[in-house]
Amino acid sequence: MTELGNHDSLTVEHSPEGAIVVHGDIDVAGGPILEAAIVDSEAAGPIVLDLADVVFIDSSGLRSLLGASRRAGDRGQVVTLRRVGPEVRRLLEITGTTEHFVIESRRD
Amino acid sequence: MTDTTVLGPVVVRLPPDPTLSRVLRLTASGVAGMAGYSVDEIDDIKIAVSEVLLALIEHGAGRPIEVEFAAEQDAFVVRAHTPIDSFDTDHPDLALCRTVLAGVCSSHGIELIDDEAHIWAAVAHLTP
Repeated sequence: MTELGNHDSLTVEHSPEGAIVVHGDIDVAGGPILEAAIVDSEAAGPIVLDLADVVFIDSSGLRSLLGASRRAGDRGQVVTLRRVGPEVRRLLEITGTTEHFVIESRRD
Repeated sequence: MTDTTVLGPVVVRLPPDPTLSRVLRLTASGVAGMAGYSVDEIDDIKIAVSEVLLALIEHGAGRPIEVEFAAEQDAFVVRAHTPIDSFDTDHPDLALCRTVLAGVCSSHGIELIDDEAHIWAAVAHLTP
């Protein structure tokens, strides 16, 4: 994999097939790192985020995901979330934002 | 004597550094765990703590933030404040924060009191 950025609580890298693989917490510290990685990848095609190793997300992290979704919509694309865990699903449900993404698969 | 131990308040004073969000969540988790809160409740407490801190980091004046945890019989209460010159409690960027707090807390509040931004959130303890 190609490492795109890292932080004490968050690392982001590209899988061989182009998905952005996120490890750690998407919070006020990690959210900007994820957002930068997403922006850097947008020219290459639709954004796919592998969230299997995301164990925490707050509204600052959700803002990064929603921003990616909005920009993808402007390009006629969607943001796909892969292996979404209960922590992320809960925040999407609380905020009523699940429909902003394509949920490809879940992690229990 | 109940199964739930009341702990706190535990007071933490920290600079407005985003990298400390995880440390603060771990601290709150430890206090809640010692007080007998469930795993699901602790997950909500971590979200509440993170929302409280990010609101004061993003909308504060870059000055120290004081956070207080209290594990009470019926709720885990997080209170935080920081000195500020002006604070728009209706700022659009706080809307998502408020929505999340409303989803995980039994009550919460964001206020400007005497040149300080104050945020508090209470996560209900349903399994005493």
